[in-house]
Amino acid sequence: MEGAASADEFIPAGLASLGIEASEVDLAVMAAVHGLFWPAIIDLLALDTEGMEPEQDPDLSRAPR
Amino acid sequence: MSSPLDLGLRAQAAAIAAGEVGPSELLDAALERIEERNPALNAVVETFPERSREMLAAAPEGPLRGVPVVVKDEWPLPWRAQRFGAAQLLAPTAAAESGPYRALRDAGAVIAGVGNMHELGAGSTGNTSVYGPARNPWDTERCPGGSSSGPAASVAGRLVAGAVGADGLGSVRFPAAYCGLTGLKPTFGRSAMDGHHMAPVTTLIVSGPLCADAADCRLLGSVLFGEELPATEPAGLRIGVVRDAVSEDVTAEVGAACEEAVEALRAETGGEVREIALPGLEAATLAAILIINSESMNGVRPEQLNQLDPELSPIARGSLKYRMLLPAAAIVQSTRVRAMMRRRLAALFEEVDVIAWPTIPAPAPRLEEPLVELPSGTLSADQANVRGAALANLTGIPSISMPVGLSSEGLPLALQLQAAWGRDELLLDAAEALERANGRRWVESLPPLAEATPTEA
Repeated sequence: MEGAASADEFIPAGLASLGIEASEVDLAVMAAVHGLFWPAIIDLLALDTEGMEPEQDPDLSRAPR
Repeated sequence: MSSPLDLGLRAQAAAIAAGEVGPSELLDAALERIEERNPALNAVVETFPERSREMLAAAPEGPLRGVPVVVKDEWPLPWRAQRFGAAQLLAPTAAAESGPYRALRDAGAVIAGVGNMHELGAGSTGNTSVYGPARNPWDTERCPGGSSSGPAASVAGRLVAGAVGADGLGSVRFPAAYCGLTGLKPTFGRSAMDGHHMAPVTTLIVSGPLCADAADCRLLGSVLFGEELPATEPAGLRIGVVRDAVSEDVTAEVGAACEEAVEALRAETGGEVREIALPGLEAATLAAILIINSESMNGVRPEQLNQLDPELSPIARGSLKYRMLLPAAAIVQSTRVRAMMRRRLAALFEEVDVIAWPTIPAPAPRLEEPLVELPSGTLSADQANVRGAALANLTGIPSISMPVGLSSEGLPLALQLQAAWGRDELLLDAAEALERANGRRWVESLPPLAEATPTEA
């Protein structure tokens, strides 16, 4: 699985770069989370959002301007 | 006489106002009932009778004068800092007057206890908490829903008639659904949020009421909104239904109950049902998850993650560390998806008044194994539930969950309605119309635990 495979490199490297320590249990949980979300994150990044600019200072209590 | 605690929220308020029930008597009854039933539910994690009696002594003549309520462990009280259901909160907390506290106090309500919640608000089941899991009054081996697990179990178990929860990704609506209650996720920014540790940064979380029915939610909602939420008859309601995983990947019982409810609502209001397309729901769900997870790390420094309390669950520890690795580009992309979905919804709400789909794809799973069997396979309840909830939080629209049946195992099933920004009142009107249509059968259904051993008043 793409997410599970990349977890072996991505998670230890990311933690090390931030100086965050992790136990074996932490790493196992993170690998599971990564496996669940990473493929969807890749899909999200690949989504064509041309012309869908974020709202400027959105007021979430109202319809978009 | 059965206990006044078995009355709904507005009936308790009316009974006190009419002098039929003494407010001290009601508070004592609530505290006794918490003592009696809470060991089976673990819904209330702390009571403070002295403080409650002080609130009652000072209670003004408000709409909830003398009525006991429960507040989720997500806001500080003047005598207690929130714990967020966790052994450790990375944000600083302290005892304080929060927005919900002030709103309740000024309405004359009495906070009888603090409600349990899913650890760090990060789950739809309520099966993980520093206090131990809350339990579902319909079956104490089942999840009560999360993250407002204790508030929901408190109301369903008739410990109190109203509770304040919070909803960042469905956390009012899931427990309302699992426990057979009505729960309102207000329009973003409309309900009291001051004092919440994420209030300065959140773009998703709101406070919301959990009660037995819509009229009680209207009353408690009015208090949390600081304004009247007037009732009107919804005529000619245009109900949009989406043929997507959120409505199709559900158990047969959920699908049938929700379809029946939508038809009953259409008939009651003389309205119409329209099939609508709402592309982008999957991306919207992920966008909401990414945004709330990034906002939850506001001010957190990496070194704090090397000093996590060992009592935090392994899932919380790993998840907190993973949140630090979320790619910034995905967060920015999420804001583009948010804009896209808000524009799509604005266009859709020109065509329909409400969008309807099941709140939960399956009834409450077992506490020790919160999995659900769906047409697409076996999923974690969290993974399955969030698909139907995140859109409202991402875009800011209001949403309501209401009971629409019981499963063959006797567990509540629920329908969710969503409306345009600021139309919270319409959702309450629609929920009341549905109650009329089904003869209030589901809002008056009691879990076995609440039917047992009624306390004499």
